[in-house]
Amino acid sequence: MAEMQVKDSGGGKGKPKKMSTRVDLTPMVDLGFLLITFFMLTTTLSKPQIMALVMPDKDVKLPDLEPVKESKVLTLLLGPNDKVYWYEGITDAKLDSTDYSAEGLRKVILNKMDKVKTQHGMEDYKDVKTQEDRKGSFINVIIKPTKESRYKNLVDALDEMAITHVRYYVILDVSELEEKFIKNPAGGLNFTPEDQVDASTTK
Amino acid sequence: MPKVKPHRKAPSIDMTAMCDVAFLLLTFFMLTAKAKPMELVQVDTPSSISETKLPDVGTLTILVGKDGKVFLDMAGSHTRRELIEQMNTQYPMSLTEKEMVQFANSGAFGVPRNRLKSWLDVEPSQRDKFVSPGIPTDTIDNQLAPWIHNARLAQFKMKQEGKVKEEYVIVVKADQDTPYKAIQDVINTLTDINVNKFNLITSMEGDPNKAGAMGAPPK
Repeated sequence: MAEMQVKDSGGGKGKPKKMSTRVDLTPMVDLGFLLITFFMLTTTLSKPQIMALVMPDKDVKLPDLEPVKESKVLTLLLGPNDKVYWYEGITDAKLDSTDYSAEGLRKVILNKMDKVKTQHGMEDYKDVKTQEDRKGSFINVIIKPTKESRYKNLVDALDEMAITHVRYYVILDVSELEEKFIKNPAGGLNFTPEDQVDASTTK
Repeated sequence: MPKVKPHRKAPSIDMTAMCDVAFLLLTFFMLTAKAKPMELVQVDTPSSISETKLPDVGTLTILVGKDGKVFLDMAGSHTRRELIEQMNTQYPMSLTEKEMVQFANSGAFGVPRNRLKSWLDVEPSQRDKFVSPGIPTDTIDNQLAPWIHNARLAQFKMKQEGKVKEEYVIVVKADQDTPYKAIQDVINTLTDINVNKFNLITSMEGDPNKAGAMGAPPK
């Protein structure tokens, strides 16, 4: 909206003509907003989010730790087509499948937590940061992504660990036995204890 | 009584204030924003509830595309220069001085060593037409491991020389549809060279614990 200059009709003869000192700023505003739009579209304001992942050291042999109780272990097999197969313990394991929704995997983990809590009660542990003695109930989750799963499945599973506050979890490779197990759940899983011996010692 | 003359001046709005606001915003955006880095691969990261932000230090980014192709990118031209010199002595690629400068100033790359020379010879503006096969990560010919290992060494050296402040933070940026096999190869590569702590880039997702959608599980 440019300001229209209207001629002064009743101007006196000898009077010097009054010139308006106002500058029309509309194009400048246009330019300003154009540049703002440009910068908003070409730049990133937020820093990306990260999820820290710590893998066990391959070289360091851990000292003999007390083996984890079988009843506390929950194994998740991340299968194809966004399906997650899971079983508890090792002996007579029954395979079940679910999805990554709040009603699926999260329920499975929370159920397992409740089960372990009623069965084993609270245990003592030392808080890593503050060195305080505390009490808590823990489950051990083993995450095993199969070759057919996608990256999102792994992140979803890790996310679920964060949401449900699982303290001990580890990412391992799927064994042949388990792959067979997925294909034929009725056949059952006949693990020797050695098959999973390194499963629970690391976070 | 004379008739009241209609005001003949056209309505005008004082644009000064608006102009001030526009340029204030413009200054703000220019100072706070960072240029969007050019991406070799389109990566659509999965979402997670994690709220940790990427620290403002030098990062070594491993990009994994939807098709499992692995790319590598690192910050700092000093380190890149040092790295390419190291790599050129360890694995002769007969790179010229010009090509090494070119490497120090470019971004992510995803070519095997034997094709790095031809990739560097392509004009940076023409690089998007160059089909990158990805850095081999399989166990037979793992080229990712020496790259990362030497990059960390180079960064460490630069830190000692005072050219950079921090050591590299290792970041894995993968597409949500990347097959796990590719991720597994990358993770195995990293743990093989004793990089046991790394970060996965994710996008924002609401935390159900905070939203109160579900009872907070026992701690």
